[in-house]
Amino acid sequence: MKFDLMLTGVGGEGVLTSGVIIARAANLEGYYVRGVQLHGLAQRGGTIPTFVRFGDEKELSSPGIMQANADLVMAFEPMEAVRAVFYARKDKTNFIINDHPHMPIYANLLDVPYPKMKLISGKIKPFAKGIQVFGAHELAKKEFNDTIFGNLILIGAAVGSNLLPLKEKNLKEAIKATVPVETEKNLRAFDLGIRLGKKR
Amino acid sequence: MKTEVLEKAGKKVVLLGNEAIARGAIEAGIGLAAAYPGTPSSEVPIVLSAIAKKCGFYFEYSSNEKVAFETAAGAAWSGVRAITTMKHFGLNVASDSVMPVAYTGVHGGFVLMVADDPEGWSSAQSEQDTRHFSRMARMPTIEPSNPQECLDLTKLAFDISEEFQIPIMLRTTTKVSHSVGTVKLGKTRKPKTKGKFKKDFDRYYNIKPNLQTLHKKIDKKLKDIEKKYSNKLNKFFPGQGTTGIITNGASFEYAGEALQELKIRPPVAKIGMTHPIPKKFIEDFIKNKKTILVLEELEPIIENFVKRIAKEANPKLMVHGKDILSRAGEYNLERIMPALEKVFKKKYKIDFKQHSKKTNDAQKNLPPRKPVFCQGCPHRSTFYAVKKVFGKDAVFAGDIGCYILGIFEPYDMSNFCISMGASIGIGHGITKVSDQEVICFVGDSTFFHAGMPPIANLKFNDGKAPLIVILNNDITAMTGHQPNPGSGVTGMGEKVAPVVIEDVAKALGAEVKSAVSFNQKQLVENLKQLKDKKGPRVLVSNGACRLLTKRQNRKKGIEFIKFKIDQNKCKKCGTCTNLYACPAIFELREKKNQEPTYWIDPDMCWGCSVCSQVCPYGAIHPISPKTRSKKKGNNTKK
Repeated sequence: MKFDLMLTGVGGEGVLTSGVIIARAANLEGYYVRGVQLHGLAQRGGTIPTFVRFGDEKELSSPGIMQANADLVMAFEPMEAVRAVFYARKDKTNFIINDHPHMPIYANLLDVPYPKMKLISGKIKPFAKGIQVFGAHELAKKEFNDTIFGNLILIGAAVGSNLLPLKEKNLKEAIKATVPVETEKNLRAFDLGIRLGKKR
Repeated sequence: MKTEVLEKAGKKVVLLGNEAIARGAIEAGIGLAAAYPGTPSSEVPIVLSAIAKKCGFYFEYSSNEKVAFETAAGAAWSGVRAITTMKHFGLNVASDSVMPVAYTGVHGGFVLMVADDPEGWSSAQSEQDTRHFSRMARMPTIEPSNPQECLDLTKLAFDISEEFQIPIMLRTTTKVSHSVGTVKLGKTRKPKTKGKFKKDFDRYYNIKPNLQTLHKKIDKKLKDIEKKYSNKLNKFFPGQGTTGIITNGASFEYAGEALQELKIRPPVAKIGMTHPIPKKFIEDFIKNKKTILVLEELEPIIENFVKRIAKEANPKLMVHGKDILSRAGEYNLERIMPALEKVFKKKYKIDFKQHSKKTNDAQKNLPPRKPVFCQGCPHRSTFYAVKKVFGKDAVFAGDIGCYILGIFEPYDMSNFCISMGASIGIGHGITKVSDQEVICFVGDSTFFHAGMPPIANLKFNDGKAPLIVILNNDITAMTGHQPNPGSGVTGMGEKVAPVVIEDVAKALGAEVKSAVSFNQKQLVENLKQLKDKKGPRVLVSNGACRLLTKRQNRKKGIEFIKFKIDQNKCKKCGTCTNLYACPAIFELREKKNQEPTYWIDPDMCWGCSVCSQVCPYGAIHPISPKTRSKKKGNNTKK
């Protein structure tokens, strides 16, 4: 068994931390874990794809996912989901998307408009087995008055909708180990996400 | 820093390659570590700095890689195990001392960890292959492939180094240093931190005839290391057929998985020691083969070696490598797959070319998301003021640091970026032969690293001289907020008196002014005064890294004072979005040709106040205290 997860979003918004949480949970579950964060110059405000892979040690060794082979893409920003299609294909890849756009300043400066959600879904469709869109950002703002908790809501939604094959218990342990500040809020955000995911 | 680095022996944890190297160093019982940060090596010193006190060894951030290497060498000469870490360009800086120390050798185990960056994820200079340096320095070189090997081979490197009294280079690439993997931890060793330098003329003076004796000694050490450690560091994986793969580093990780995807199992040889390359091991591997595919990123170093020994060992052998794979860029699964398909005459189930064509079509017309200065970044404010005073036609000499982001629109204020401190030297050369105005941008850490000698040179040799703007944000920001001599805190977390940039620049002969980065008026006035003068001139723009302030505030529960646009006063000129270009300010349009409205996202505003200073209509104000939380933010103070 091997599970190929890609997380993507905008640098500085917690995508890397989300990857660490999931990698830790997979380790607690007893899987062999590999992964890589593509960051460097592009960290601040740039696109940062992160890969987390887990499964049987005999079957996985590459830190990155192979083109067209992701099992799940979790996009913390909608447009970045479109940039992730390189790793996706119709018969294999599910998409989970947070619907809140993070407008790049270049949309304005270079006069390239930011695409509407409907257009985004249309672009992803030929590469997706399924697309689940969640209002994680808005819910985080409503519940916690801090959008950073949207990340945990989205991870919860992935587990709740059975698209991320890891146990709730292990993810909670990983959250506690990774985010020592405001742990309670993070756990609550994760639970909210699970409920959201189960409704789908 | 992840707490797993200090977990108990026997535990399985997920670590970055760099974190695993740090753990390996602790398991080897290092007594001293010294580094200058450089990504992709930065996380090794980040971890070592965080745990040095707890583990009982000494750690320092040195002012540059040469000093770091020398510090570690001094400890190793005195019998204490030491490590120094750097990126590939850092090795260029350190190399002047690296070459002779390979001759003198060491007493305590000494590991020089160097991270190459194929693809240039974090490097804007060249795709240098450090394995050429191993040959030049005649230094044994070990290459791990994954985090587990990062730990195991770091530890082994210390043992080999001490056994043969020779420094060992541990070479990684981005995907080895920056990938995570499951790692089983070993036992840590109590650090030995005290040693003694024993005087030994024959050993520490590389002059002839000592020089030749020392040189011959290296020959012998390399031969003995190859003999003793070849089978431990290089691995043979049996398989079927007469076509074999020879690979190293990250490529080994790709090869294993790509072969599984192709459902073939050819014999594979993994080279863990790329200097000296194991001759006998490779001879044995290629003897009964018809074809070999060498998978190695960057230069064909193993490939050329294989071709050379095949001339005697197997003259009919067909060797593929850089004939079907690129020297440029890094490898990954989809990049090596076509080479495997070709050599093994088998098709993978997915046509990557066709898939890429479809994905490219889907991604057409998306607005680009290039990296930007953070909201509230002091550099943006300084760049804005410099452009205001000098216009866009001056030559903007760039350097290494976050301010490299000045290359992007709308600033377009980094016309070249060569190496640490080079903005000043190259700027000087330009002013010698051209009448153009030259502005050099240098960060605080870069100033201490390599910016001081060229300023002394300006006083000595250039009456006209470029204007130097030192962007002092108190920290080495781009690599993850490491302290430097100006920060006032050491790598061990101890407070010290900072070296004051203004004082140093004055002592080097420059006319020096300073301004607060978040104060446009002050910046502009000082720049105007310096503009009309000649000779070496320095403006120090002081403003703490906003990202760091943001993180410190979050811990303390302090919120920034946010800013807001008064829609009645806003004339929709676009200065805040199109010229100042803060990523927290948005131009919103319901429909394409509709008049825009401008809006500051309160979730993103980090309260630097500079937008309110650049707005020509005074339309931007702090949000009134009533609507804010009770705690006051620290806004524009340094």
